[in-house]
Amino acid sequence: MERDLDNANPTILSVSQLPSRRRKGPAARHGPDSRCDALVYPKHHWPFASSSSPSSDDDDGDDADEPVDAQDVYDLISTISDPEHPHTLGQLSVVRLPDIHLSPSPAELPSPDSLLTVLVELTPTINHCSLATVIGLAVRCRLEQTLPPNYRVDVRMKDGSHAQDDQVNKQLGDKERVAAALENDTLQRMVDKMLETCA
Amino acid sequence: MAQFKQWALEYVLSDDEPVQLDIARKAAKEIESSRASSTVVGGWAASVQQWMTPAHADDDQMDDGDEGGSGDIIARAKVLRLIGFFGSMFSYDHKAGITASAKALRQLYSMKAFKPDMGVKILDDVCKIKDDFRLQTAATRLELYELFLSLVQDPAVASELRHKYGPSCGFVLDLLQVCQSERDPRNLMVWFKILALLLTDYDPTPEVTDEVFKVFSAYFPISLRTSATPIGITAEDLKEAVRSCFSAHQRVASLAFPFLIQKLDQGDAVTVSVKVDILKSIKACIEQYDNPQASVVPYIEKIWNSLKYEVRNGEVKETIDATLEVLRAIARKLDGTKTHKLDASSLKAYVDLVSRDCQPDLSNPTYTKQAGLLYMTVVTANIRAYALYNASFIDTIRQNLRQPKSPVHTRDLILLLNSLLKTRTELFRDRKQGHADDENTLREEIRSHLDTLFHDVYLPVWTSKSKESTSDERDVLKQVMQGLALLVSQQILQSDETPALLCPASICSEICSLLTLTLTRSLTLSSNDNDADDTTLEDEAVSALRTIAMNYTDGYTEFADRATAEIKKRDWNNPSEYSLNALKELLSRFSFIGCSEIPSNIATEPPSQKQFSPLQHFITLTASLLELFPLSSQPSSTSAAALANATVISSLHASIIWFRDACETKYGKEALGSQTDGSQNWLDEFRQLPEDWLSQLCQGSGVVLPALEESDPKVYAEFLKLGLFTVRYLYRSAAAGPRATWSERALVQLSQMTALVVQSLDEKLQVACNLADQAVNLFLAPDEKAAQPEAGVDEGILTLGILQGLWPGALAGLYKPGGEAQRLMCDTSKLGPSPSRESDIRAAIGAILANKYKGGPSTSDPDSIVMKAVLDFWATYLTTSTAPSSPTDSTFPAYNTIAMNVLSAAAARQDKHLLPLIPTLHAAAASPHPAGETVASSLGLLLTPNPLLTAANHATVKRFHKQWTYAHLAKPLLPLAQPTPSGDKLLATRYRIAVLAVVGNCPLAVYQDDLPALIKLLVTALSDREGIDLDETAAGQVSAALGVLVEILAHEPEAVRGYIREIVGGATKVYRDCSPASYVSPSGAAGCRGLALQVLGAVAGRFEERHVLAYAPATQRMLAVACGDPARKVREVARRARAGWAKIG
Repeated sequence: MERDLDNANPTILSVSQLPSRRRKGPAARHGPDSRCDALVYPKHHWPFASSSSPSSDDDDGDDADEPVDAQDVYDLISTISDPEHPHTLGQLSVVRLPDIHLSPSPAELPSPDSLLTVLVELTPTINHCSLATVIGLAVRCRLEQTLPPNYRVDVRMKDGSHAQDDQVNKQLGDKERVAAALENDTLQRMVDKMLETCA
Repeated sequence: MAQFKQWALEYVLSDDEPVQLDIARKAAKEIESSRASSTVVGGWAASVQQWMTPAHADDDQMDDGDEGGSGDIIARAKVLRLIGFFGSMFSYDHKAGITASAKALRQLYSMKAFKPDMGVKILDDVCKIKDDFRLQTAATRLELYELFLSLVQDPAVASELRHKYGPSCGFVLDLLQVCQSERDPRNLMVWFKILALLLTDYDPTPEVTDEVFKVFSAYFPISLRTSATPIGITAEDLKEAVRSCFSAHQRVASLAFPFLIQKLDQGDAVTVSVKVDILKSIKACIEQYDNPQASVVPYIEKIWNSLKYEVRNGEVKETIDATLEVLRAIARKLDGTKTHKLDASSLKAYVDLVSRDCQPDLSNPTYTKQAGLLYMTVVTANIRAYALYNASFIDTIRQNLRQPKSPVHTRDLILLLNSLLKTRTELFRDRKQGHADDENTLREEIRSHLDTLFHDVYLPVWTSKSKESTSDERDVLKQVMQGLALLVSQQILQSDETPALLCPASICSEICSLLTLTLTRSLTLSSNDNDADDTTLEDEAVSALRTIAMNYTDGYTEFADRATAEIKKRDWNNPSEYSLNALKELLSRFSFIGCSEIPSNIATEPPSQKQFSPLQHFITLTASLLELFPLSSQPSSTSAAALANATVISSLHASIIWFRDACETKYGKEALGSQTDGSQNWLDEFRQLPEDWLSQLCQGSGVVLPALEESDPKVYAEFLKLGLFTVRYLYRSAAAGPRATWSERALVQLSQMTALVVQSLDEKLQVACNLADQAVNLFLAPDEKAAQPEAGVDEGILTLGILQGLWPGALAGLYKPGGEAQRLMCDTSKLGPSPSRESDIRAAIGAILANKYKGGPSTSDPDSIVMKAVLDFWATYLTTSTAPSSPTDSTFPAYNTIAMNVLSAAAARQDKHLLPLIPTLHAAAASPHPAGETVASSLGLLLTPNPLLTAANHATVKRFHKQWTYAHLAKPLLPLAQPTPSGDKLLATRYRIAVLAVVGNCPLAVYQDDLPALIKLLVTALSDREGIDLDETAAGQVSAALGVLVEILAHEPEAVRGYIREIVGGATKVYRDCSPASYVSPSGAAGCRGLALQVLGAVAGRFEERHVLAYAPATQRMLAVACGDPARKVREVARRARAGWAKIG
């Protein structure tokens, strides 16, 4: 028998409403007259570059220094699937950009190897969500798998967002308990399933 | 034995005497040649025996020896007897014989001696099988169905059947009884065909019709179970077959319509596909039945009452569409055919019925759209219905628009009005295809309600909504814009049969200015007042104005005047970014509106002052833009002003692209060649014309163009002529006028635009206009040219524009020994130290000239002297520059780039004169002189695709030129580049650099055969930069090696299995070495790191775990750190690689 859902009717954001790294510069035009824009308003107006070495014009800024920021962390975890809805944590607003904090900011790190803490505060869709711990575990796993070793990960429930946030926070903050939880095959499978949608 | 039986059967069935004789002969021979003759004779006797009924066994009528005048009668009797024999099979329970008998009967039917009355007998006989028919196999039954079908559709048999049975059609009832429970799809297909034939050809009594109807209607709705073994028949075929029974003849109308409607009215029990099937069947009946007064009219009300809810409350698009099709079919049927119009009363009654139900719904926002759709479908089904009812329909919409319930209601009502106008356009366009009366009806149409649409409907809505900016209101405005465009394009038939615009010019002009205002607004507003994010409204206005400009041609002139006036009002000496964007938008739309289609010549009231020309919009636009240029005469002060100037040139370029596309769509690509004789020198004509010819044309004075209709393909040639005039004018202004107005960006746009115009001309025309010379003279007379100072880059850009578009044949004049081409290809006049704008331009010009060179037999240069001279020149240059004794020259890289581009263009057409040069290149690359390293690392340029050498530019790029170049240039170096402890280290290093530079620009297929030798070089390249002086060379070799490794790992991972340790180690080292502070440029370093991680990631996925396990811990640690890389793109690659390696161990 199918288990009753904790929250049968959550609010869902569409993908276009999620925070994302917007392209720099004016938006591309879409009107009927924009078809030959690429030819008459080219991105680089000098089409005759003859040597293979990239000229200064080619530098579109993508390769410049871009230290890890909250948006990067958001992109890593917002695509995790919810365990009971066919939506991502970003769409359900369980993960929110303003609730991701990096300290100290990576741009200000004294050396690349110095320690840095990522704090992610989760907001369950309802305050008695029984899956909050699993979601927290998945977020933790995802970040540990994708962030460099000098990043310390701290996943918590946002204050007041969960009836038992103290207990859940305690579980998520305890290394031993996290490791023990991942020994459990069922839990591990569930987490793997949730992480499948992460690119 | 079996043979005899077969022969006997063939003998009996054969109609042909020689064939029979042949069979007899074969049998005789068989008997003669056999040893145990008695058995054989017995076998023969047995085989013949079965064909002789006891009573007639001795009858010599079977004997073919009897020949005489009674042959026909004899044959007939024979056939009759055979029919008797086989027919009798069906009376007894003779299971094994049925198939054979059915086959035999079909054979007999096709014989010459077969007579229609025999068909009647066959049917009689076969029907005796009765219920046993069901017990036969499907194949046997199919045989019988085919037999029935042949008989029933044979006109002679049919008339015999009618004669014998009369309208009671007794045989039909027998047939129905025999075949009634068929289920095999293949058989059903034939059976339905028979049933349809029975209804159409046999005139059955109502009782029989009823029986037939019962049989096929029992199958409705038919479906087909999906089967593992496809039989070549789809469910759709079966549906079609049943449908053709329903629509076979109007005599089933009284049964079919109630039956189908009753099926439809079952409500939710009916699935969408069944519903569509029913609707299609009803439509087929309506369309196929004759005498609609009797067959369709009585059921219309019933059909309407049942169908209207499918649209009114329906949600599924398929059923809605199918329903509307039915309603439209009724209206068309009631109108009559192309040759015979029916009385209007039934059509009127039908439309009245529909409008009675729909009109009240139009005031209810929930149903407006659906009710309108229903009403409109019926009203616009044909010209007569339209003429009778459009006024009242529009009136209803108008009344509802006065008291709209919501913006959505307004939008839906406007949408309906627009759809009506759109359909009117279609009816008008197709007016000649229907009955002759239709055109008269259109001519006499009452139009007062259409005339007032703008002031009564569209304008009030526009005025009330244009202030607001909610998305619903914007939707309404978009609909209004579409409606305005449709309104302007409405045409009427004048008394002399020519079309004219419905709206008077004053209204068209008012509409134009309304829409123009929407587009010029962004220029007049300040950036704070304009929310530029959503341009859909403006885009809609653009589409509307485009439609208007194509029909009401004066509208474009009005738009142009308004737009240019607005632009001129502004000061462009230091425009803001917002103003620049607004200018770009406006000019881009300006080009699109006028030039993306060829305008039509439609009369207006009062008639236009201007004589129509398909090119008039292009002329207006070009003249306006040339008048605007330059927007700022001192652009050097700020780059924004230069951008404004360049935008004008970009828009001219865009207009050429649009109009050329429009010409090619309308007249085809070949239109030009057939319209020009190639002997005209347009440039000579241009010299006679004033410089402001285009603005004179625009005002209708001076030398005018030949009068052309829009359908005349000559338009294309005339357009290119105007294009070339524009190009010439601008070239002269750029080359001889004040330099300040021309920024590099504007010049490049001009050059690209020129390339487009020139490449569109055919070779003869290019030669006739002597365009090759203009590449050097830039459309200036020799004395004007001499007065100009040399202006390197600018002039080069202009030259390049013309050269790019020329056909090789048209360039021949330049390739004289010591001529212009040779001078341009071997230009070593002063240059800066590293590749710069100057060297870029020279390289591009050199490449084009080297590629378009045509030497060899049957050309003016049979011994390819020019090309040889050019190649020799560069060979000597490279040799001298890399000679150990020569001084280090900082300008060498720039010249080297030019040389490589020239060689590369020759390599693209696989010029064999390049081959003797290759040892020189190898030697230059190997030279210990520092310039040698530059040569080695730049050899990749020989294979880099040059964006200028395209088919559109008439360049020659052979398909296998990469293979050719690789085989001659890089392959011989592979053994020499291998690192050996004893060999010359520098030599090997240089060769390795050269090989990697080449291979890095080739697809895997080119070097696939040399992988073993190549991989060693790749591995060395990752870790060893000994002997490399320049950082760029080292970075280039590393990134080339990584790129090639990525390719190999993706497609041929087995080839590198022995080198996993080296590759993992090498890639890790590259990642560490290419830190942002390393020897490589920051962007190059990030690229290298990304590639290195890509290689590592590929290694994890491509090999069995045991091969990579040893490197897992170190690599995992390294990848974990790489996830914090400063570059975002690299972090992404690192994460993917890390996920791959995480699975190992």
